[in-house]
Amino acid sequence: MKIKKDKFKDALASIAKEAKVFLPMKGVYASEYRVWDGAGEPFFERNTALPPKELLFPRSERMYEYDLNAGTVTEAAPDEKIVIAGIRPCDVRSVEHLDKVFLESEYTDVYYRARRENLTMIAYGCATPAPTCFCDSMDVVPTDAPGADVVMNDAGNSYVLTVNTPKGEHIRDLISSFLSEGKADDVPAVSCSLKVEKPDDLHKQLIARFDDPMWETLSDACLGCGCCSYICPTCYCFDIGRENRGKTGTAFRCWDSCMFSDYSRMAGGHNPRPTKKERLRNRYLHKLAYFPERYGTSLCVGCGRCIDKCPARLDITNVPDIIQGSESNG
Amino acid sequence: MVEIDHGCKCPGNPLLPQICKVIKITEETPDVKTFRIQTLDGKKPFTPLPGQLAMISVLNVGEAMFSLTAQGDDWIESSIKRVGFLTEALHNLFEGDLVGVRGPYGNHFPTEELKGRDILFVGGGIGLAPVRSFIRHAIAHRKDYGELDVLYGSRSYGDLVFKEDIFDHWPKACNTHITIDIEEDGWDGHVGFVPSYLEEKAFSPEGKAVVLCGPPIMITFCLISLAKMGFSKENVITTLEMRMKCGVGKCGRCNIGSKYVCLDGPVFTMAELEDLPDEQ
Amino acid sequence: MNDNLAKMREAAKRALESGDVGYVIGWGATKFPDKTSPLFMRKPEDAERLVWNEYAIPGIAKYLLDDLYPDKPIGVFVRGCDSRAINRMMKDNRIKRENLRLLGIPCDGKDDERCTICRNRNPLVYDELLWDEAPTPEPKDRYFRANAVEAMSADGRYAYWSEVFDQCIRCYACRNICPACNCKECYVDMTATGFQGKQHSRSDNLIFGVTRAFHVGDRCIECGECERVCPMGLPIMGQTQKILKDINELVGDYESGVDAESENYLGVFDLDDKDEFM
Repeated sequence: MKIKKDKFKDALASIAKEAKVFLPMKGVYASEYRVWDGAGEPFFERNTALPPKELLFPRSERMYEYDLNAGTVTEAAPDEKIVIAGIRPCDVRSVEHLDKVFLESEYTDVYYRARRENLTMIAYGCATPAPTCFCDSMDVVPTDAPGADVVMNDAGNSYVLTVNTPKGEHIRDLISSFLSEGKADDVPAVSCSLKVEKPDDLHKQLIARFDDPMWETLSDACLGCGCCSYICPTCYCFDIGRENRGKTGTAFRCWDSCMFSDYSRMAGGHNPRPTKKERLRNRYLHKLAYFPERYGTSLCVGCGRCIDKCPARLDITNVPDIIQGSESNG
Repeated sequence: MVEIDHGCKCPGNPLLPQICKVIKITEETPDVKTFRIQTLDGKKPFTPLPGQLAMISVLNVGEAMFSLTAQGDDWIESSIKRVGFLTEALHNLFEGDLVGVRGPYGNHFPTEELKGRDILFVGGGIGLAPVRSFIRHAIAHRKDYGELDVLYGSRSYGDLVFKEDIFDHWPKACNTHITIDIEEDGWDGHVGFVPSYLEEKAFSPEGKAVVLCGPPIMITFCLISLAKMGFSKENVITTLEMRMKCGVGKCGRCNIGSKYVCLDGPVFTMAELEDLPDEQ
Repeated sequence: MNDNLAKMREAAKRALESGDVGYVIGWGATKFPDKTSPLFMRKPEDAERLVWNEYAIPGIAKYLLDDLYPDKPIGVFVRGCDSRAINRMMKDNRIKRENLRLLGIPCDGKDDERCTICRNRNPLVYDELLWDEAPTPEPKDRYFRANAVEAMSADGRYAYWSEVFDQCIRCYACRNICPACNCKECYVDMTATGFQGKQHSRSDNLIFGVTRAFHVGDRCIECGECERVCPMGLPIMGQTQKILKDINELVGDYESGVDAESENYLGVFDLDDKDEFM
């Protein structure tokens, strides 16, 4: 199944009649998945600066309203249909990881579930990995996304579509008038230039080296900002706060970062992770050791955003390198 | 060897509080108050197992995780020390004021697994609060357990919590050993720190499990004392504290290694803790 | 390897071998040719990992705040901007001169837009100078961002800053890299006070932006690191540039961090202050 590139926007317009369509787009300052206004151009050359997690796990999300006068709490229920057209396979994998946390673990998160059920993902097979990309070392195939509802791949003057799910079939039906028969000429394989070698028991080796001096060296240059966590497609830690107006108000949750001093500080002042060494170690171990232990898969998808944007140029791939004993010292 | 259940049970949307009212406030010490909480229609908000936790909020200020120290047919109770903004707000409440409550979270003390065994409860300061739920359970099911000892200490007489329990109720069902850190007028009981009192008492480790809770420094020294006395780490149980926001293993901050204190804890054996990264 | 890099490696190695310094901070390579990362050298042989090229951009002075009571002085390579950062933090009583061993390296300008407004390529404070100073080329418009914003209408400015701060993700990288953002505890981290709402909204984002700008205020050393580190690419130098521009127009020539003694213009309490605006 194919769609001509010059019909792509017409197809989006058909989808937009029943759902809010998000596209990777260049913003004035940074690229992100933005609401498509009916005219904007997709930006497929590089992955977006901001990950798509915002659409499932907003930076700030209303959870409930409370009214102490009436003695009531009222739960929020998000119910907007969303289609992301052009999400990259690394980001699709990140959604699968978020599903593990918010849907498949001991407790289901009702807010996430409502958004997730309303989400359709049309993946865009990646043809242009950035120098910081290493998804194919993290078990992602750059040109394919089994977790997406539809996968599209660039084939010259058209896109080839593969439908994976019933949600995907619905998209196909919506845009059927723009589709033509056609099989994918073999999608050329894509390979990231940054390769990460890691042993199968990486998580065990890392935990065994919890007290290793390597954490000090790795965190030397860390500035303790939350950049890596906020632009990471899989960092899902949150804080719960409230916006209060006297006796009524709103409880919200918002992104938080384990890199901030306030994150684990307890009432009374004790902080189990007092310096950047403990905080960075916790972040890296969460990605590469704790999450694999708990959920059976690495929490890093190799999108490379943190490497690209870290103000101090910290590089998460140095962690497996040290374990492999192949640390490059330039 | 004590097997601990690390499952957490909380129905519905676990992030949504129920509005409840404070029906009784007891001033335990100058900085600890016990809050008895009930739903607006006079019911028990939920039925926690001994050792489980609840998120208690002053809705227009904030919320935090507390251990539930006791429960009745139509109420639950938590004893809270004033240490920060939220606990200050809680201490400023009056009987009849509204709070938000969600839970119960976390695992619980091994009440079933310890049936038939002797139990030594060791508490320091506000650390008696989480242990109290288990002591009350053991006393209510007295014939299920062997010998019960409660060894509890605080800085001063004024800082001892649950005075009615430790001086009037509990001595009827278990051996109580109370100590304060420094001598003071009018106190004719034991004086000294908890760990040294523990060694003085020379409890036999034979068939006995220990439930230990208190400030970190007390725990450290109690563990040394207990090891000297021959208690194995598998038979020493404690509860952990970390900052929490969600209570259901998602918001991230209460992890120790790959374990979440809110979900897999707060109850662990010392042997289990030894296998986790040292980060508390 | 260029001569200057050889001199830097030699200086770092010598300092570490002599035992006069605990460690030396410079720049090291990453896996990417166009990125360098701050490098902490603890052993003489670490000096071989030092790099010096057009990508040796990250500011390194801020790391001095991570180690306020070092056993031995800390060695730091200082370009003009790093030296102004150090002066700034000394003037703010955050670091002490005797804890520093400053290896002066006149800068040749880097591959970064922010370096085009540089007024001090040569270090203004140092213990030794590793090579000869060269004059700083005529800088481009010092207030290039502020001028662009000033040209807008009031509504235009509101729209402009709203668009900028709607994009802010509040990672606080701009704060953490800034040598003038050197408070022991930032108001942002005192979450329980409610000074700074944690919610991502235009109002909370703008509150952070405005507070940051005014608190940095006249202490901005114009290094541009806040913009370089911003993952969203936001033009936030416009805020501090405007403050500096007003000071320069109202009271005359002023630059922050050129020495560690000169008084600030803002943030000074003076009984004789006329407070004409009140």
